[in-house]
Amino acid sequence: MRQPGPIIGIIANPASGRDLRRLTANAGLYSSTDKASAIQRLLAAFGATGIAKVLLPTDMTGIAAAVLKASTGPMAREQRWPALQMLDLSLTQTVADTRLAARQMVEQGVAMIAVLGGDGTHKAVAAEAGDTPLLTLSTGTNNAFPELREATSAGLAGGLLASGQIPAAIGLRRNKRLLVRVPQQQLCEWALVEVAVSPQRFVGARALSRSEDLAEVFACFAEPHAIGLSAICGLWCPVSRQAEQGAWVRLDASATQVLLAPLAPGLLQGCGVTASGPLQPGVAYPLSLRSGTLALDGEREIEFAEQDTPTITLDLHGPLSVDVEAVLAHAARHHLLVVPRDQRHTPATLR
Amino acid sequence: MSTQLSSEQLLHAYEVMRTIRAFEERLHVEFATGEIPGFVHLYAGEEASAAGVMAHLRDSDCIASNHRGHGHCIAKGVDVYGMMAEIYGKKTGVCGGKGGSMHIADLSKGMLGANGIVGAGAPLVAGSALAAKLKGRDDVSVVFFGDGASNEGAVFEAMNMASVMNLACIFVAENNGYAEATASKWSVACDHIADRAAGFGMPGVTIDGYDFFAVHEAAGAAVERARSGQGPSLIEVKLTRYYGHFEGDAQTYRAPDEVKNLRETRDCLLQFRNKTTRAGLLSAAQLDAIDGRVDGLIEDAVRRAKADPKPQPADLLSDVYVSYP
Repeated sequence: MRQPGPIIGIIANPASGRDLRRLTANAGLYSSTDKASAIQRLLAAFGATGIAKVLLPTDMTGIAAAVLKASTGPMAREQRWPALQMLDLSLTQTVADTRLAARQMVEQGVAMIAVLGGDGTHKAVAAEAGDTPLLTLSTGTNNAFPELREATSAGLAGGLLASGQIPAAIGLRRNKRLLVRVPQQQLCEWALVEVAVSPQRFVGARALSRSEDLAEVFACFAEPHAIGLSAICGLWCPVSRQAEQGAWVRLDASATQVLLAPLAPGLLQGCGVTASGPLQPGVAYPLSLRSGTLALDGEREIEFAEQDTPTITLDLHGPLSVDVEAVLAHAARHHLLVVPRDQRHTPATLR
Repeated sequence: MSTQLSSEQLLHAYEVMRTIRAFEERLHVEFATGEIPGFVHLYAGEEASAAGVMAHLRDSDCIASNHRGHGHCIAKGVDVYGMMAEIYGKKTGVCGGKGGSMHIADLSKGMLGANGIVGAGAPLVAGSALAAKLKGRDDVSVVFFGDGASNEGAVFEAMNMASVMNLACIFVAENNGYAEATASKWSVACDHIADRAAGFGMPGVTIDGYDFFAVHEAAGAAVERARSGQGPSLIEVKLTRYYGHFEGDAQTYRAPDEVKNLRETRDCLLQFRNKTTRAGLLSAAQLDAIDGRVDGLIEDAVRRAKADPKPQPADLLSDVYVSYP
């Protein structure tokens, strides 16, 4: 008797890609139409790799509706898209919708959650996902956690992994995270890429993209090719996703020499780095400022005042994510996507 | 754009928002007595939008408003007593009592007028922005319109012209969720009004309209951009109105506790007070003093407006045509 096929959840943040950086930088727009198309490309790849069912939350912006409409069309039939099941949520049009969708997907036993959004969306899903792996797709503004990748190839990797054709040891990687604790506010939040400390007193329009608004940056990982606040560490003291430490830098607007870093798309800022160092796991680092805001993965979320004592701690046990390159390299080595010409529409796992 | 405001700026922002709230809540009571002619459309709940944008403008910058215009007028500096008298249809009103709620204008403050025609403010600010450009001035023009007007052709034409002519023009879409009784999630074809900016080659952003600091920051970036000759932009401010489309609207299209929940959890004045006092930037006593002063101002405006004379038949044709020298 055939085992029931794997289920994958898909979460696309309808709000990603519309923040202040359209005004202050040259950030682009990722419309809901684009997101619906990316989901359809994922479904084609999942269909080809034997995924039986996909869970998709409803939304107010027409993403789920467009996918549902396409799922009854000829392309969906020809490509043997997985069965589509809508998660009918009571929507608040806030990040709570993303977290609720992720929680319900985990409860329904999905093998993986594909996420379309920026660093903030991935963080929200990861907070609920536990050890359910994430297939990460960038549709935000300054994205360091999800890599820029085409949904079709990412979907192939996700489908192969979720259907058990790739060993987890090859296809999954464990990510780091930063724990942000503010005991006086009973807060314990986390970030997947970086936490920036800003002298700005209020959350305001959330995005930070000016060097004078930065006092410190703590990063889980910092790649030299990154865009966003982690780029400062990435171009000063880079640290890989795999390294068992992170990095921090301290900034001063009056420094005589500055590091040019792309803090937002098209926005190179001179950042006066005055000190830096490694971030050791398990150590709670205090902040140099007594009041200001904390930006988690690029967006101010926490306001702290003199009565607060926030700390930042690197934790090596963050979420699992699909290593798309490793999965597809393994698939190539073992010819996992080779099928007889007359069975090219049969999902690979059902052969 | 910085959110680092001085104590004076913070107190002014609170006073503007508090004045709008008190003005509108008093009108809500007074309109029910039947003494006020015409219709009124209250702005209560949306104060952070007007205060956040207008904090960056000067008298020579122009704004155009819509039918829900009291908040824009107050934030732009129009005299509160003159507005109240205008709404009561009195000769002492800012437009001689002949405009009423939906046509309050004060050119000395750069207030081109509230407007009863949905979407009609947008071409007006394209015009004032073009005038500023032709005069070589760095003045900025701002139009406030709603989610309903975001579907109007006049708005699209103005956005197109502003972009083609690189005008210092800012389009502020106050998306309160309803065009009269029609939900914007049903009637607006795109998912975010801000996305429409891309079709006209200008940036568009979506901002939390319950948070003064979010609006202030976004508007600051847009004004700085426009004033420095970088062209128009669109800001979608997401917020809610606490009252009906007009006074007397039964609001059967809204969930029973919708407004109550938003008032309790998101209210812009409440958030402003909590944030600034927790940060140690303002004290509750300073804010309470403003509350008291504003209540007195509104009481005085209503008392005087009620007692003032109405325009006479002889006033009918005055202020209709410009008197050329």
